[in-house]
Amino acid sequence: MGIRILLHISLVMIFSPLLLGIAGKTKAFFAGRRGPPLLQPYYDIGKLFRKGNVYSPTTTWIFQAAPIVSMAAVLVSSIVIPMGSIEAPLEFWGDVILFTGLYALARFFVVIAALDTGSSFEGMGASREAAFSCLAEIIVFLDFITLALLSQTFVLSEMIKGNILSSWQLFGPALLLAGASYFLVFLTENARIPVDDPATHLELTMIHEAMVLDHSGWDLAYILYGSAIKLFVLGALFVNILIPFHGLSVVMQTVFFWGGMMMLAVGLGIVESCMARLRLNRIPQLLISAFVLALVGLFVVLIKGV
Amino acid sequence: MELFLLLELPFVMAVVIFIVPQDGLRKNFLFLTSFLHVFAIISLWQRPHDLQFNSFLGFDALSRLILSFISILFFVVSIYLIGFLKEKRKRSNRIFIGCLLCLLAAMTLVTMSRHMGLLWIAIASTTLLSAPLIHYYRTAQSIEAVWKYLLISSLGIALGLLGTLFLAISAAPIQTIFLEDILSHADVLSPSWLKLSVIFLLVGYGTKMGLAPMHTWKPDTYGEAPAPVGALMSGSLTGCAFLAVFRVAQICFHAHLQEFVSPVLILLGILSLGAAAIFILGQKDFNRMLGYSSVEHMGILVLGLGLGGGAIWASLFHAVNNAFAKGLIFLVSGNLYRSYRSKRIENIQGVIHRLPATGIFLILGFMAITGFPPFGIFYSELLILKEAITDRRYMVAVFYLLFLSVIFFGYAKIILGMALGKPPDQARQDTRKENFFMIMPLVILVIILIFTGIFVPDSLYHLIDDASSLLGGR
Amino acid sequence: MWLELALISIVFLGIVILGNNRLGTMIQLFALQSLVLSATPLLVYPGRHAVVMAIVTIILKVFLMPSLLFWAIRHVAIRREAQPLIGYGTTLLLGGFLMGVVFLISSNLDLPVQETSNLLVPSAFSMVMIGFLLLISRFQAITQVIGYLVMENGIFLFALLLLENTPLLVEMGILLDIFVAVLVMGIVVNHINQEFGSASTINLTNLKD
Repeated sequence: MGIRILLHISLVMIFSPLLLGIAGKTKAFFAGRRGPPLLQPYYDIGKLFRKGNVYSPTTTWIFQAAPIVSMAAVLVSSIVIPMGSIEAPLEFWGDVILFTGLYALARFFVVIAALDTGSSFEGMGASREAAFSCLAEIIVFLDFITLALLSQTFVLSEMIKGNILSSWQLFGPALLLAGASYFLVFLTENARIPVDDPATHLELTMIHEAMVLDHSGWDLAYILYGSAIKLFVLGALFVNILIPFHGLSVVMQTVFFWGGMMMLAVGLGIVESCMARLRLNRIPQLLISAFVLALVGLFVVLIKGV
Repeated sequence: MELFLLLELPFVMAVVIFIVPQDGLRKNFLFLTSFLHVFAIISLWQRPHDLQFNSFLGFDALSRLILSFISILFFVVSIYLIGFLKEKRKRSNRIFIGCLLCLLAAMTLVTMSRHMGLLWIAIASTTLLSAPLIHYYRTAQSIEAVWKYLLISSLGIALGLLGTLFLAISAAPIQTIFLEDILSHADVLSPSWLKLSVIFLLVGYGTKMGLAPMHTWKPDTYGEAPAPVGALMSGSLTGCAFLAVFRVAQICFHAHLQEFVSPVLILLGILSLGAAAIFILGQKDFNRMLGYSSVEHMGILVLGLGLGGGAIWASLFHAVNNAFAKGLIFLVSGNLYRSYRSKRIENIQGVIHRLPATGIFLILGFMAITGFPPFGIFYSELLILKEAITDRRYMVAVFYLLFLSVIFFGYAKIILGMALGKPPDQARQDTRKENFFMIMPLVILVIILIFTGIFVPDSLYHLIDDASSLLGGR
Repeated sequence: MWLELALISIVFLGIVILGNNRLGTMIQLFALQSLVLSATPLLVYPGRHAVVMAIVTIILKVFLMPSLLFWAIRHVAIRREAQPLIGYGTTLLLGGFLMGVVFLISSNLDLPVQETSNLLVPSAFSMVMIGFLLLISRFQAITQVIGYLVMENGIFLFALLLLENTPLLVEMGILLDIFVAVLVMGIVVNHINQEFGSASTINLTNLKD
């Protein structure tokens, strides 16, 4: 059991920065550049680990604890997700709640660390992050409810693996709607365009980047690593729902899963290249549309009867 | 032959109108076409009341009645237009007259359609064809009136379409919505869907009629439209809408849903009377007041339908008289606008002194509209009151009397003040002599009102009797 | 399966129109929605009747009406809705709530007509609701016209239930009526723009008692 958990976590830790690299390469390709090398995020994290930290005198232990807590929470949440042929080491009834709770924990610590600095810049980013994730969490829960109704169980790995293939055949449109709304939440949670721009760090309208502006050295490394792992885990969930490959042979499952993750990273890059960031007051409208989409998906499932 | 004259000729003439270059010639074509239309109607009076041309088009007593007064009113208005359009305007009146002719054809189609879907199409087209007519004076207010009219009517019509679809669903056992089939097989229609469809149809066609609370477009539209258009809309178009509501009531009667539909109709009627009463008092614009008056009379019509029995006869009688009385007073308002150049009541004073002939007709029109004896409207309003009391609906009777009195008081104050006050002494006395073509129709209308109200011929009696028996009236 | 996919995309496009504020985009989304809509008769009752309906719907609703609307706003300078009566977020939430009500009611209706999918009636009524919301909550005249057209799309979907029984003449008549309505509305919007310099109905508030 312990070996499986360790294996799972190591896989996640090894491969998550690669997704960021792939997305970056895709964006560069669309922009006509060669772009940074594929393993650039690894170099960035390594560089940051070797650097020293600077702490502002206004901060307390929360500021130092937050990066570690956020990365640890996200890592733990990865244990509940199956990755292709590799089963999830931990599954119990209601682990969906644990999953979302861990993300809430991570977000909470980052937000109060931002407030801890006493700077209004971080506070602004923190308030926006808190507001948008309120809406986003509801949508995630609606999607989970739809999935739970379809698979008649409340265990995350079984919701995904169980009868997703037959669910696609019977309830295809509903799953499409749930998938579309989940994708919008995916973009929001990972602070991607059109919600937030991960590239620039100094615009006054940033959300995620504004919050973590004061971290440095290995704290920043933890933050960066944590966001890469978050991208990986949420993306793994998305790929599991979207591609019904469960039930095939081990090799096919592995191929489909990892191939799907690569395609997701490429897709992310494409979305980032094709759109601009939305005006800040349009982001709640985007999230409310995602909410209505998820709601309609739920209605469709309810009306067709499960 | 008559079918061609009634339906196709107006369309053909509309096309001709578009081609004819001179403005002056067009109104003669209009006059000619409406004359032929009336001629066709009168020649049809010889035939029996039920006359089917094909499965989609045909007559019964009700459509005969309504088409007759639509056509006659249109003819009188076309005489008025000869004088009205003598003024040179900047734009050609091609679209105006073309739309008028197409409107005539559309109204004929409404009365003649025996298929509920065709009825909807015809009513929707009357809405669309009457919209450009309102924008005759090209002011900012008239465009506002056109927009509100278009939007509210289209919304109502869309709900009416939903109602028609619900009707078709309730008629699933018989798979058709021809009126004959629905009426003869009314007991196999699914009742819940039928009730739903009746509600939507009443809201939709009630918007077209101008019943409260869907009446908000009426004062704006009648306030801004030119006088002959107002006469047509309030006399003929409302007759078409009333026909549609009557058809709905007919379906209910055959499906034994009277207890369901009468309270709705009575409520709509009383609400319309109330809305008219509230807004006529203290009204500052003469044409808007006429709009509210139209709301009031539509309320009376629907109230009569709801009360049933002898009140149905009274409603039909009221519809005939209302058309001509409204025509009279709207044409009078046209003369007033032409002379005083304003629609505001405070600017129109002392009509008797300035325009003697028009003044007389103003007072006659006032008497006709408010139900002064011996005009027909007095009789029909009294009949409805009698039916309400003998049916022991005392609250209805009380509200009815109350609202009618308030409305009468409002009218009297306004119109008598206009007719007998002191004329304004502005220097720009536009003392044109009153045009023959603009007085003659008023005379004709009063004569018609005498015949439809006071010395009613037997044929008209029998026609109304037959029509009201469609709903089980006396 | 394809029918349900089409119905869901129609609802999806309706939601996107509801949350949008650009006139040009809304007209294009309406054209796209009408395109999906014209395919639905073929999925419900394939046959000659359905093919004729599909072709006429494409010609009228996908090509003619959007071009009419674009022609009507060719002189309009401001192509965005400044501020609707209720905010966009509230509009979307209200739309979602109304759709929920519609789905609830539709599951309790019993239709005496055979229906091919139990998503047909809810999506039809949802479109009617969304069109109605658009009609009453926006100030730009063209948006109100688009709301009316979305309502008519919903009614068209509902009429699919009766496709077999309705005479072709009546359906053509209905489509033609809607087309003429859009024509007249487009001309009036043009006049509004000429008169006031903008196509917003905020200027049309002078007539009152």
